[in-house]
This record gives sequence, C-alpha cells and structure tokens, in this order.
Amino acid sequence: MNLFRSEEHISRWLGGRAPGATIPVGKLNELAHAWWSDRLLPEWQPHTREQNQAILDRLGLVREFWRLP
Amino acid sequence: MDEHDLQLRSSTYSLFVELGRAPTAIEVADSDGLSPADVVGGWQRLHEQHALVLDPATAEIRMANPFSAVPTAHRVLAKSRWWYANCAWDAFGICAALHTDGRIETSCPDCGAALNVEVRDQRPDDESLLFHCLVPAARWWDDIVFT
Repeated sequence: MNLFRSEEHISRWLGGRAPGATIPVGKLNELAHAWWSDRLLPEWQPHTREQNQAILDRLGLVREFWRLP
Repeated sequence: MDEHDLQLRSSTYSLFVELGRAPTAIEVADSDGLSPADVVGGWQRLHEQHALVLDPATAEIRMANPFSAVPTAHRVLAKSRWWYANCAWDAFGICAALHTDGRIETSCPDCGAALNVEVRDQRPDDESLLFHCLVPAARWWDDIVFT
C-alpha cells in the first residue's frame, strides 16, 4: 500500500504482476479519515465487517477488489 | 471483544500516543494494575481479533494500526512528533486518528523519489499522487505485514 508519482511508475513497479487497485491520494485521505478517525476515542468499538464495507462503498470503492471477507 | 479487552486496548493505544512508541507489556501492566502475563494474554486475544498486531517472535506490539511499532518507509510528523505508519493508507490514518494536520514523508517504490505531502485542513496539498493497493481486501489479513 504505497504512494506513487504516476500510473507509469505503478506499471513499472508492478513489472508484470497483476495490478491491484489505484485511487487518487485525495480519495485515500478520505478513506483514512473514515477508517481511522475513531481509533483513539475512549468509546471506540471494533468496526463490524458491514461497517467497514459501508465505508468502502460510500467512497465508491465497489469493485470486487474492495469486497471484504 | 469483552470490556476487559476493550480497556486493555484503550490503555495500550493511549500509552502508544503518550510515549510516542509502542508500550511494553510491563508498562501497560503498571498502568492498568495487571500482571505482564495478563497483558500479553489480552494482547493475543486482540491480535486474533485484528485489533492490534503482535510480533510472533516476541509477543511485543508490531502494529497498533495505523501506528507502526517499527521503522517503516512511511513517516508522519503530527502533534510535534514523528511516527511510523504501516503503509501509505495508515500514514493518512495517523493524522485522522490524532485529529490533526501533519506532514507525510515516503518515497515512490518505483523510482525512489521522495514524496512529501502536507496535510492541511485535513486535505493533502499534492492531489497528483496515486495510491496503489496490491492485495485485494479479501486477503488483507492473510499476511497483514505484507499487505
């Protein structure tokens, strides 16, 4: 799970491996806030699979790649 | 996750932020009035529930996501302290968890160029960068360190 300068750099880094998923850094930032912002709250409770999937869905990350087990 | 394990997790995370590093079992035991063995046993249950990640060789904390207990290629300056993140996602997650802006320093895995991102008003200052996730979500926890 890395940042890259461009699609060209991702493709070269993959070196023939099957690509995963690429999203803009702005979307990653939104995902990080939705996923982690409650992590240090005293009332924190574990996210259910459904809660986490809803975060991904809400951000438009709906490909099979983003389907949680 | 029962109330005791929730409390243990909360204490562990609080100490991580207070110390700026992963606490030891002894430090958490002293904080919570537990024995170190109780702490390690609780950590193991939290590990099994993906609430933190232990080093299998030492039973010490490897990840208190989004924080990393070990140096990584993803550094974050937030709340006047440098942190290590487990990945680029977690780097932004550290700012989110601490509810603060910050500076993320990493590098492009392809060319090695430094990639420095300022998070201001909860937004990255360079929107041109891309995030690539290699492992599908269904397999993230098969090997979370690799993921």
